[in-house]
Amino acid sequence: MSIKVRTVERKGRTFLEQLYLVEVIKGMTVTLGHFFRNLLDNSRLYVRHYPEVKPEITARWRGRHRLTRHEDGSVKCVACFMCQTNCPSNCIMIEAGERFDGKSEKMPTRFDIDLLECIYCGYCVEACPMDAIRMDTGIYSVTSYSRESMVLGLEDLLETPGAFAEEEYKKGGG
Amino acid sequence: MSALDILLVILRIAFGAFVPLSFVAVLVWMERRGAAFFQDRAGPNRCNVLGFRAGGLIQNAADGIKLAFKEDIVPGHVKHKFYFILAPMLVFITALLCFAVIPFADVLILGDKHYIMQAIPMDIGILWFLAVVGFGVYGIILAGWSSHNKYGVLGGLRAAAQVISYEIPMGLALVSLLAVYGTVNLTEMAQFQGRLLFGFIPMWGFVLQPLGVIIFIVAAFAETNRTPFDLAEGESEIVAGYHVEYSSMKFALFFMGEYVAMFVSSALIVTLYFGSYQIPWFTTETLVTYARPVVIAIMIGLPVIGYFFAEWMKRNNRSHYYRENDPRQKETAVYVALLWSLVAILEVVLLVYLVFAHGGVADRILVALLQIGTFLFKTFLMCFVYVWVRWTLPRFRYDQLQKIGWEKLLPLALLNIFITSAIIVSFG
Repeated sequence: MSIKVRTVERKGRTFLEQLYLVEVIKGMTVTLGHFFRNLLDNSRLYVRHYPEVKPEITARWRGRHRLTRHEDGSVKCVACFMCQTNCPSNCIMIEAGERFDGKSEKMPTRFDIDLLECIYCGYCVEACPMDAIRMDTGIYSVTSYSRESMVLGLEDLLETPGAFAEEEYKKGGG
Repeated sequence: MSALDILLVILRIAFGAFVPLSFVAVLVWMERRGAAFFQDRAGPNRCNVLGFRAGGLIQNAADGIKLAFKEDIVPGHVKHKFYFILAPMLVFITALLCFAVIPFADVLILGDKHYIMQAIPMDIGILWFLAVVGFGVYGIILAGWSSHNKYGVLGGLRAAAQVISYEIPMGLALVSLLAVYGTVNLTEMAQFQGRLLFGFIPMWGFVLQPLGVIIFIVAAFAETNRTPFDLAEGESEIVAGYHVEYSSMKFALFFMGEYVAMFVSSALIVTLYFGSYQIPWFTTETLVTYARPVVIAIMIGLPVIGYFFAEWMKRNNRSHYYRENDPRQKETAVYVALLWSLVAILEVVLLVYLVFAHGGVADRILVALLQIGTFLFKTFLMCFVYVWVRWTLPRFRYDQLQKIGWEKLLPLALLNIFITSAIIVSFG
């Protein structure tokens, strides 16, 4: 007998438990304790008053995307199409153009991310050889009134700053 | 009929009709905030009118307006539109009618006339309740059947089987109670409970019938289709059961009917087992005799209660995060001012009574008002028990429900009858 047999103790078969009422009253005391605790001082509630109080986001959190820049302000992205190829939901649309600042040969002229298609898997970040795309903006609530405004362009992606310090982001396994 | 007779008839019927309706708002509020507090949540606290949220009561108004302005749809596949529309009315009206026989104060004696404080002053009392409450389930069955929907039919069938199973233990628990009280008239039952057992224990139903009260409360939960017996709705199994096809005000009628039924059965439990309008150790006659000391006690007690309530409001009605010029504290200041002005008005009214109107008719009316307050307070507490149970216990499985009804409650109710009658025959 190599399989370990574990006998689970059956509960709820004693007379007192079969009566239901004792157990019911036990359960009801527990809930009543919670009720009075919260009624007498509702600052003890285990909830966050959401729209006013935001949750803390860790550096590992995959939020809305952004494109990063070199220290001199030029775009890090070299339009290698790794992220677009790797994207499982086909939400990235890149058009490459010639680059003249000597950093590389190509740069994106268009970089659209359709946030309605995006599944926030983070594969684009993992695929990027230049660390040009990141999901560290800390934006977790992406909402809009129209479909069109859910498509982010190159400028929107470059404008958004990261929400975390560089060391913190690196430590977070990004 | 004198003008006074007509006035009292109108007052009593108004009480019987409007108190359950206004309690619907209170109960929905209590259910939602209560559920939230039982589960460590905050509950509805955002809806407001000019920043006043009345502790979440404004949410009820918002819900009501929403339901009233929704499109009233009768689905195309419904063949019997008459029954489809009749069903919610039946549920609501039967629930409301049950309250008509429940006494909310002792017989009011004005001069040489006696007024029974029930919406419909009738002798049959509890029999009326049993007859009418059984009708309520017809509404549910009719709704389930006329919806022409599998979930609806299942919900209706479950409700029917459940009510049949639980009306028997309920009726049998009542039989032993009737043997104790020796009457079916609810006002007489309430008067009976004003007496004292061994000279110091109030002779309330639950003291005389400890087993009966458990059976009756369990059966009453099943009758009102509340958790743990809400299989007729069973949203996780059969979507919403009998009201799955209903929308807007027709749904609202079901919803209100449920809460009116809950209020009425709480009122009945209070009437039968928890002393009705009786204040323990203070019978109607004692209260009338000692009206002045009672009023003085109330006048002293009111500011004390007001103080603690105001402190509680100040502690809890504020924003629990940093906010400049917290609007909720301003809101609380208004509530506290309102509370103290209410206390002041009551004090003035009581003072006027003490100085000018003391004695005779005024005493009787005062005692009746006190008893109405006691009755509503007890009913409120019983409604809280309903909410409390709903947010503690999970739903029974269907076979467990029938098993409890037939194999446990029924023999227990019969046993209770034997014990009760043995005691009555040997000692009574």
